[in-house]
Amino acid sequence: MPEIISVCSRCDTPLEHGDLRCSICGQSSPPNETTKQQVAAKILRCKGCGAAVAFDPEHQAPRCSFCDGIVEIETIVDPMEQTEAYLPFMLTPDDAQRALRQWLGSLGWFRPSDLTSASHVDDLHPLYWVAWVFDTECKISWAADSNANSRRSSWAPHSGQTDVVFQNILVSASRGLSQAEAVAVSQRLDLRTARATPNLEDGVTREQFDVQRSQARRQVRDALRLMAKKHVEGTQIPGSSFRNVHVETVVKGLTTRRLSLPAYVMAYRYHDQLYRVVISGQNSQDLTGTAPYSTAKIVLTICGAVALALLFLMVIAAAQ
Amino acid sequence: MPTAEMTTEPELQEIACQSCGAALTGLSGMLATICPYCASPSVIQRPPSKNRPTPTFAIGFVVDQERATQLVKQWIGRAHWFARSDFKRAAPDCTRGVYLPAYLYGAVADTQYSASIGENYTETETYTTTDSKGKRVTRTRTVTKTEWRNLEGQHSCYVLDVIVTASKGTDNDSLEAIEPFDLRALRRYSPSIITGWLAELPSKDQATCFQLAHGETIAKVGSQLKHFMPGDSHQNLEHRTQLSREVIDLVLLPIWCFAVRYDENQPPVQILVNGQTGRVAGSVPTSTTKIALVVGAVLLFIAAIVLLSAMQ
Repeated sequence: MPEIISVCSRCDTPLEHGDLRCSICGQSSPPNETTKQQVAAKILRCKGCGAAVAFDPEHQAPRCSFCDGIVEIETIVDPMEQTEAYLPFMLTPDDAQRALRQWLGSLGWFRPSDLTSASHVDDLHPLYWVAWVFDTECKISWAADSNANSRRSSWAPHSGQTDVVFQNILVSASRGLSQAEAVAVSQRLDLRTARATPNLEDGVTREQFDVQRSQARRQVRDALRLMAKKHVEGTQIPGSSFRNVHVETVVKGLTTRRLSLPAYVMAYRYHDQLYRVVISGQNSQDLTGTAPYSTAKIVLTICGAVALALLFLMVIAAAQ
Repeated sequence: MPTAEMTTEPELQEIACQSCGAALTGLSGMLATICPYCASPSVIQRPPSKNRPTPTFAIGFVVDQERATQLVKQWIGRAHWFARSDFKRAAPDCTRGVYLPAYLYGAVADTQYSASIGENYTETETYTTTDSKGKRVTRTRTVTKTEWRNLEGQHSCYVLDVIVTASKGTDNDSLEAIEPFDLRALRRYSPSIITGWLAELPSKDQATCFQLAHGETIAKVGSQLKHFMPGDSHQNLEHRTQLSREVIDLVLLPIWCFAVRYDENQPPVQILVNGQTGRVAGSVPTSTTKIALVVGAVLLFIAAIVLLSAMQ
């Protein structure tokens, strides 16, 4: 469950339990309890034995030198990330196998003719992989060189500022899936279907987030920066080519969810070779993987092309 | 006027030690102290005021006195060659481990900038030269030239974690020399984190600290802008920065102060140790005799070379 205690009064980013400061803008979070202030000299006494306590560098806490009691002080906590919600599997393993066969059949002429009939599924297991999904408002400042407006040099400098809202941006935290696989199988996931518990328990490999909160935030921020850069490159920079793209962002209301997402990981064997395919647990169209090429067909095509070119040359030579 | 402001704050001169009843004096600039008679640690609680807000955060000491002394000795040993020899022999005196008040500042910086951006291009040009046979020939070569284009634009960013001193006893440059502090170890201030140590109250007024922080922030934006500029090179970069949505928090930083007295007639040298990371900084007194000797030796060497070449 998300442990959001309040929202930063300055940039609307949620503050989570244990945050002393906002992770985006550095604003201090409201204290747990307010202490009364009065002019007084005070000796802090050990709750166990009543002796005066002093802060001890070794224990990083106030410590009583008589009874070794330690007083707790509020520090920044950096827990391991935990999944907040699961997206349900909507495809059965049979659906996944069918999707694989269909995909193998649709790969085109350069693949072996018996690809669909001769390959058989060796291994199929459902996987809950983990990712962060964030929403944010963002002011992007950018500067870049582009070919628009250029004079003697092929580049001219441009700059600008733009406000963007990013919604449902997915950042993979998976160790099992590669970045490309994660992108491919997350295209059509329906985030509204998120629920507190997984709908498939048996035989599911459940990935855990293996990073701490601070590291997670860094990864999300890096992803956000990358998104901002892509946005600028795609929509803001004039001209058809660019270089030296620099972006700076001012983020507002960065909300991150930690989700477990469904996928099937399959291995199929074709002539003693194993190939890997990953398919989304919600939509059979989101599928990515490797498949063999037919060397015979490729060689044949090249020979055919060369022969055709030779024939063409001969015709021209004969005509002259 | 700062003096008028000071008098409005209730100043605390004396308070009785809660443990032995002795009068604790010299409390005017302190937040925490130790009773000289019974060694009881006291934390003094005052109502917050404009120039003396309650600390928001503190970083606890990690380096203890023994380690700090050792680090200072190593640092003195590594001092550069021109350092005075009596300084290198001197034993450091640990004055105290103190929580230094500083402000942790952050803001949104909106900047209007203008610069000349250099875009390189290559041109083929012809030139005449004499070849190996002494004939004049015409040849071509490609040269890289730079076209300067004006660029104006806006840049907005967060500037975080600017630290400026709030103590008159330690200036900002000395504090910068032992930065950075690892702010991930920040703790919410509570009297229990400073108990048993000395802790100073802020002695600079907030307006001055704000100014210091603004200066540092604008300098930070300036260096960020240098990397933000497109093109192959740039010049005449100018920027006007407006700071908004500022946050400023009082934070207590752990610092070991050392004094090194190497000469009866000289004031002692102050050396600071970052109580969290163990980074040491201070100004090393240079020996005029050593410098004179080296300069003399270099001059002699040059004179010898000149003489030698003259004799040939």
